[in-house]
Amino acid sequence: MTAVTAQQAGLVSCETCRLLSRPAGGTQLGHCPRCGRELAWRRHQSIQRTWALVVAAAICYIPANVLPVLTTTALGSTDSDTIMGGVVFLYTSGSWPLALAVLVASVMIPIGKLMALTYLLITVQRGIPARDRDRTRLYRLVEVIGRWSMLDVFVDTFTVALVQLQPLMSVKPGPGVVFFAAVVVLTMLAAMSFDPRLIWDAGSTREGNHG
Amino acid sequence: MAEGPGDNLAQATVVSKKRSRISMVWLIPILAAVIAVGIAVQRILTEGPTITIIFKVADGIEAGKTDVKYKDVKIGQVTKVELAENSDTVEVTAKISKRAAGLMVEDAKFWVVEPRVTLSGISGLGTLLSGNYIGFAVGKSTRRQRTFTALEVPPVITGGQPGREFTLRAHDLGSLGIGSPIYYRRLQAGQVVAYDLAGDGDVVDVTIFVNAPYDRFVNPTTRFWNASGIDVSAGAGGLNVRTESLVALIAGGIAFDTPPWASKAQPAAARTVFDLYSDRAIAMKQPDPLAAYYVVYFTESMRGLSVGAPVTILGLPAGEVTAIGLDINPSTKNIRGRAEVVFYPERLVARLQQSQAALGRTLLRDLPERHALVQYLVEQRGLRAQLRSGSLLTGQLYLALDFFPDAPKAKVDWSLEKPVFPVVASTLPDLEAKITNILAKLDELPLQAIGSDMSKALITLDQTLASTDKLVSGLDGKLMPELNSTFTELRGAIATANGVLLNTDATLVGKDAPAQQDLRDALQEISRAARSLRVLADYLERNPNSLIFGKAQEKP
Repeated sequence: MTAVTAQQAGLVSCETCRLLSRPAGGTQLGHCPRCGRELAWRRHQSIQRTWALVVAAAICYIPANVLPVLTTTALGSTDSDTIMGGVVFLYTSGSWPLALAVLVASVMIPIGKLMALTYLLITVQRGIPARDRDRTRLYRLVEVIGRWSMLDVFVDTFTVALVQLQPLMSVKPGPGVVFFAAVVVLTMLAAMSFDPRLIWDAGSTREGNHG
Repeated sequence: MAEGPGDNLAQATVVSKKRSRISMVWLIPILAAVIAVGIAVQRILTEGPTITIIFKVADGIEAGKTDVKYKDVKIGQVTKVELAENSDTVEVTAKISKRAAGLMVEDAKFWVVEPRVTLSGISGLGTLLSGNYIGFAVGKSTRRQRTFTALEVPPVITGGQPGREFTLRAHDLGSLGIGSPIYYRRLQAGQVVAYDLAGDGDVVDVTIFVNAPYDRFVNPTTRFWNASGIDVSAGAGGLNVRTESLVALIAGGIAFDTPPWASKAQPAAARTVFDLYSDRAIAMKQPDPLAAYYVVYFTESMRGLSVGAPVTILGLPAGEVTAIGLDINPSTKNIRGRAEVVFYPERLVARLQQSQAALGRTLLRDLPERHALVQYLVEQRGLRAQLRSGSLLTGQLYLALDFFPDAPKAKVDWSLEKPVFPVVASTLPDLEAKITNILAKLDELPLQAIGSDMSKALITLDQTLASTDKLVSGLDGKLMPELNSTFTELRGAIATANGVLLNTDATLVGKDAPAQQDLRDALQEISRAARSLRVLADYLERNPNSLIFGKAQEKP
C-alpha cells in the first residue's frame, strides 16, 4: 500500500502537538506555529540514538543476569540469588508457572525487546522495504510491553522493604537489580527514540535527513 | 578592465548549522560499558582461588550454603559438592575470598564444624541453627595448594595459638582422648592434640600442645605422667587422695612437672619426645644411675612376688625385683625359681649420717671395696635374702635382706655377670599353715550343739535353784524345832552327867586324880561342842542359804 507521506508532500508534522504545517523556507524547518517546538522531518538522530540505547541496554543485560538481584539472610546463612538462579529455584521447588512467569518477564522480554529493536534498526538503516506492517506491529508490541518488564524490580523493592526481620531474616537488593532496571529503562527509551515512520520511508523516496 | 564592484565581492557562504554527526546519546552505552567492565574487573580482582577439599563424608555440606570460616569469619563458600571419581570420597569445591587466598597453603587444615558433645565440653552449638560449616586452620608452609584433604576430627589447637607441641611416648593411651587436659600445678596448661600408634605398634605417641605461658616450664628434664583417676595412698601420715580435677577424673588428663632434683634447664624445643609415666610417684622418682644386679634362686613358691616388688635391707628400700623366672640345673634336672634383683647403693648411702657420708661416697666409687663389704656381710655376718609377706591380705611378697648368723655358709661369686645372692627359706609357709590350722579348728567347733547345751544347762540350773529354795524353807520349818528339842535333851543329859560327875568326884580317889582330870577335860570339850552347836544354830537361823552356798565371806 502506498500513500503520500507528509514528508513527500513537503509538509512537516509537529512531534508534540502533531500539527501539520508547511516548513519555513531555507535550511531551517522552523518552529511549530502552535506549540513552538522545533520542527524536524523525522525524530532527530533517531537511528543513532536508538542504536546507542540498545547497545547500552545490551551491555547492562550481562551484569543484570550475572550479579545477584537479591541477598537473603536467614538464620545466619546468606543466600545470593541471580535472576536465573531464582527461576531455577522456583522450577525445582515445584512452582513451574511462577518460574515461567519470571522467565518470560525477566529474561525473555528484555532480550526480545533488544532483538526486536535491533531488527528494526537494521532493516531501516539498510532500507529493506519488507513487511512494513509486521514491523510496525512489532514496534507497537515493544512499546506496549516495555513497562511490564519492571515487574521484577517492583517485586524486588517490595520484598526488600517488607522482609526486614532483623536479626532472624533480612533481604537486601543485590547490584544486579540496578542493571536490570537500567536494561528496562534503556530499552523503553530506545523504543521511544525510534521513529516508526522510518519503516515506511525505506519503501518511498530516500531522504538523507534523518541520519 | 573595468570591474564592477559586485564582481570582486566574495560570495558569503551559508554554513548550515551542522549538528555533530555523532549523537551525545552514545555516552550512555559508553557509560554502561565502563561500569560493567569496572564491575567485571573488580570481580576478577577480588576473585579468590577455587579450592577442592576432599572429605570422607559430606555431612551437612551443601553447595551454595555451606561457608568456609576462619576465626568465625567467612572466607569462602562451597560451590559444588560431588562424589569423587572413585566414589570413595566427596570432593567439595569452594570459592575462597581474595583476602584468604594467601592462607591456602599445603598444610592448611579443613574440617566440618558440627555440634559435638564431648566429656570436656560442648562445641559447635551455633551450627544447630545455621547448619554445619567448614572450619579452617592456617598452616605454616608457604607453598600454595589447591587440593586439600579434610580432617575427620577438628583439631584442638588451631594455628597461631602461642605455645609448643610435644610428643609423649606411652605404653597405652589409657583414658586419654583428643582434648584431654594437660595440667601444670593443677592449672590447665594445654590439651592433647592427637595420638597415634608409633614404632611397630608397641607404643602410642600422644601429641600435646602446651599453651604459651606454661610451655617454658617444659624443659628436657620435665616429667609427664598420667593424671587420670584418683591416686589414693595410705601412709603413716594418714590417707592421701590425689587427683588433678574432676574433668581429669572423667576424661583423663596428663600432668607435668620438673622434679626438684633435676637441674634447671632451658625450655625444651618444640616436638621434643618425652616418656609418659603411669603416675606421679614413678615420674618423679630420681633415676638411680648406680645399680648392682644379683640373681636369687628359690626352691619355694614365689607366688605373690612380682616384678617391681621392693627389696629391702633391714627394712629400708634398697632395690627392686626386675625379673622372675625359672632356672633348670642341667646336671640334677632340678628346677628352681629365679628372681633377678637390682640394688641401688645410692639409696642406702643417702640414709647414712652426715659424718659417714664420706665413707658412703667412697663405697659408691670403689667397686672392689663394695664387693668386699658385701662379701664380708654374707660370709661372716650371714646376710641372706628371704621372701617375706608384705601383706597377709593380698599375699604380696617382697625380698628382705637380713642377718641369719645360723644360716649355712655361703659365698658370692663375683665372676658371674649377675652374682648369686644366697637365700634362706622363708618362714612364710609355716605361718600360713598354722593360721589355716587354727581356722580349720574354729570351723570344726560344734557351736550349734554348744548353744543348745548351754540353754539346757541354764534350765536345769533354774530348777536346781527352785529346789534349793524349797529345801531351805523346809529346813527352816521342820528341822529347827527338832534341833531345839535335841539341844534340850542334850542339856538334860549334860545336867545328868554333871550329877554323875559330882558323885564320882565324891566317890573317886581324889581331887587331882588323873581320871578326874580326864573327865573334866571331856566335860569341857562337850561344853565347847555344845556352844559351837548353838552358834551354828544361830547362824543357820539367820542365813539358811549358807547350807548350800557355804558361809559368806567376812567383809573386811
